[in-house]
Amino acid sequence: MSAELVTLLANFQPDAQELQQRCNYDKEAREFVKHVSGLSQAQALKGADSPQDPLHLLDPTANAIAYAYTLRHRIEATNKRSPEQLQPELPLWNKLVLFLESFDPVQMRYAGGEWKKLVEHVEQIARNVGASALAIAPIRSAMFRLDPTTGTFTSTHLNFIRLCMETRSYKAALPVLDNYIHSLPTTIAKETLEDLEYSVVASDSVTSGEYINLKSGHTNKISLTDLQEYYVLGAMAYLGEGRFKDALHFLEHVLVTPANNALNGLMLEAYKKWVLINCLADQSYKMPPRTMSSTAVKNCKNAAKAYEALADAFQQLNNLPKLKAQVNAGMEIWEEDGNAGLVEQLVQHQNRAYLTRLSRTFSAIPVSNIANNVGSSVEQVATFVDSLIQQGLLNARLDDSAAGAVLRFYLDPTQGPLAQTEKQQQQALFEQTQRTKALAEQVKDADYRLSITREYVEWVKRQKKKNSAGGGGGDPMDVTFDDGDMDEDIMSDMR
Amino acid sequence: MANDAADTPFFQKRKAEGIIVVKDPPKFDLESYISNYAGFTRADRLRHIGSHSTYLAVDAYRTAIAEAKRGKNVKLYLDLVEEFAQIAPEDPAALLDTTWAAERTKKVEAEKDKLEHELKSYKNNMIKESIRMGNEDMGHFYYATGDYSQAHKAYMRMREHCTSPKHLADMTLRLLLVSIAQKSWLTVQSHVAKVDSTQVKGDEKTKLEPIISACAGLAHMGNQNYREAATSFISTSAAFLTAEPAAGITWQREVLTGNDIAVYGGLCALASMDRSQLKERVLDNSDFRTFLELEPHIRRAINLFCASKYSACLEVLENYRNDYLLDVYLSKVLVDIYGKIRRKSIVQYFIPFSCVTLDEMATKFQLTGEYPSIEDELETMINNGTLDARIDLVDRLLISPPTNPRYTVHADALAMAESYDHTLRLRLTRLNMLAAGMEAKGDKSSAKEQGFKDGTFGDGISAGLRGIGSKMGF
Repeated sequence: MSAELVTLLANFQPDAQELQQRCNYDKEAREFVKHVSGLSQAQALKGADSPQDPLHLLDPTANAIAYAYTLRHRIEATNKRSPEQLQPELPLWNKLVLFLESFDPVQMRYAGGEWKKLVEHVEQIARNVGASALAIAPIRSAMFRLDPTTGTFTSTHLNFIRLCMETRSYKAALPVLDNYIHSLPTTIAKETLEDLEYSVVASDSVTSGEYINLKSGHTNKISLTDLQEYYVLGAMAYLGEGRFKDALHFLEHVLVTPANNALNGLMLEAYKKWVLINCLADQSYKMPPRTMSSTAVKNCKNAAKAYEALADAFQQLNNLPKLKAQVNAGMEIWEEDGNAGLVEQLVQHQNRAYLTRLSRTFSAIPVSNIANNVGSSVEQVATFVDSLIQQGLLNARLDDSAAGAVLRFYLDPTQGPLAQTEKQQQQALFEQTQRTKALAEQVKDADYRLSITREYVEWVKRQKKKNSAGGGGGDPMDVTFDDGDMDEDIMSDMR
Repeated sequence: MANDAADTPFFQKRKAEGIIVVKDPPKFDLESYISNYAGFTRADRLRHIGSHSTYLAVDAYRTAIAEAKRGKNVKLYLDLVEEFAQIAPEDPAALLDTTWAAERTKKVEAEKDKLEHELKSYKNNMIKESIRMGNEDMGHFYYATGDYSQAHKAYMRMREHCTSPKHLADMTLRLLLVSIAQKSWLTVQSHVAKVDSTQVKGDEKTKLEPIISACAGLAHMGNQNYREAATSFISTSAAFLTAEPAAGITWQREVLTGNDIAVYGGLCALASMDRSQLKERVLDNSDFRTFLELEPHIRRAINLFCASKYSACLEVLENYRNDYLLDVYLSKVLVDIYGKIRRKSIVQYFIPFSCVTLDEMATKFQLTGEYPSIEDELETMINNGTLDARIDLVDRLLISPPTNPRYTVHADALAMAESYDHTLRLRLTRLNMLAAGMEAKGDKSSAKEQGFKDGTFGDGISAGLRGIGSKMGF
């Protein structure tokens, strides 16, 4: 019997000759998934712990779908019967981790539900023994194997970042955070998903936004707060790593939430943090991103006046005590909002901002002068300056002269410890070009996804009607938002 | 007597209010200075000098009070006497002539009644020309009594009864004069524009042009647009000096003299133009040369600036600082103008050098008292971006920073690309959110469902989409 099971499970061979055609592969894979998921738990558990154990015989890479099903049933059954078997470093855990690190990504596009459940099991098992940090690496590799760009938002993203924040493993979260979210899982019409050769799920060219959708099972339904929470937590992780600019950018993603004369709590929270981090990141006050709606900006500003005042005090580098006074005055507010730590950073950071501004005015200045202005001892300032230079935050050096230590700034950007050679610059430019190109592709995709939504098509229809009715108003170029070809595509998709 | 004036309660109070008080004697002679002017500006200027210069206060107020007594403006007289009483209580002119005031008030009232009565009868007769003249008389009357806002209204009422372009031009000129007297420069500007666009042709028009440009310059200067002011002043034709009265106003006596144009124009040009422009548009300008000849030291200052002798130029200007502070129009903007010229001189001076010692800077540019030391002044200039330089406090040098355009271009390109990239990502996020129907909502959670039903939501998406799509360039 168990041998039959193995044969059945091994039925789907992705390398088989006839499956080289992506379209056939797609059909076969779908059928296989339907078939396997029809198996009852008792059937799937046959042969466990015997030489005929499917988990021994199947290869986690080549037979990923079958392996995932068997593994999931096995874990669920074990959980019921003898939960003590489910612990890190025990065979079943090892199999699970091995699978998550080596499964065949294309097959798992079809078995989204299994993928999600296995990832959840990893987390659950690790949590049960109180070592949640152990789950981070397997989850991350599972995410990367499924979608190398990790750019389609799933409920796993949120769970993952929550886990990282709980265990304070900020660094572990960075690889995922660094990949921006380019798609949100949506409901894609069945017609566009199947039977079209150029867009089958298994094809090499599709982006993750197409095979990870609300029906594929990889993710739960995503709500706005989920997404916003992910960005806020991500920003916090960046803060933990001291990457202020990235944190700032992450918060901006929350701020641009479409809002119709309303704010939600996360937006307001993000705005407060944004004001503070703005000061930490580049020392000059920036405007909120233009994509943010103007009423939202106004509402945020009204609700976060205390923070605006703080940022204002931070800017006044020739009035250093003012910031401290502001900080003390609003202590309750900062603590209530949980931003006291950030505010404290702000105070420390102001001295750094002050020094950076000096570099724009002076080429050399005795440390004693700075000490006078800041109001601390020469030694303290010298140590502070030295630490900044060591951390690569100031392009300068400390000289000793007869009159005491002197801070000399490098005027030419190509000199000093922070100098970039032209080659480095070129490299950076090149990398940026690549990123922008990739981004442009994502934008096109998002564009396409929008163009097949019901609302858009209805709008186009209405516009057409309006035009043919001879209302005459408006520029004819204004009718379609892109170009004529786009319309053709939409209609053929809808048929 | 003159020295005591500084200690009088009047000047003490003004000092406390932060108003400039000039103690040193100016270079001009009050009597000959004021004899150049006529009309309202005479009393106005005298009062300004009296209330700003401790040295000339007594003389100026005496003349001003005598002047006021000749006119119909009782309020002006009362104000002047009150102010003067705080400076020199024993002076005979400081005693309030109540009989005169009462008598004059009565007379003015009677005249007003008579004019109003006349106007009424003109209106009953429905003769346009008479109504116009009646309103004009009312305007003249209010103007003479110093009630400028009523005068403005009266002149404005003339508009619908004007029958020829000439009438219209005269009316606008009158309005212009009244708004100059009110010192509301924005109104002056709009009236200047109106005068400029009147339908007057030929000779009449050429007569108006110098007046227009002089008044435009004055208005721009009052609004601190020095560049426009300079352009207007230097394009004023020399005909201004000899122009016949327009609309019954001798502009070169009642508003600005040629000397004023030279000083205002010269200073505004110095504050706003670079060396080649100064040479080309100011010194080589045959029209403006006529004016400059009236004020040779302004001409000398511009010459010195063009010859890169900045310290000498500033010295000339400094010598005349007190005079200009006593000018009724210049005193408010003078500090600003001088500061601009000084900052420009420092920047220009520093351009050819890669490195100058701070002591050299300090001797070249004497401190004006605004900053405690030259370092502080330079520091402020660098911080607000006026001067591109770095200070070396150890060797006491002002250093011009080395430039590396290639590096800067690369760095800029990188920064720009990054910010573009980020903006694009933000838009992508927003677009995705819109597509997924995500929207931050207030407490009314039903709002979205309704939106779906009546289809406005789809509209929202598409509209948002179109915007995003076109901005992204796809």
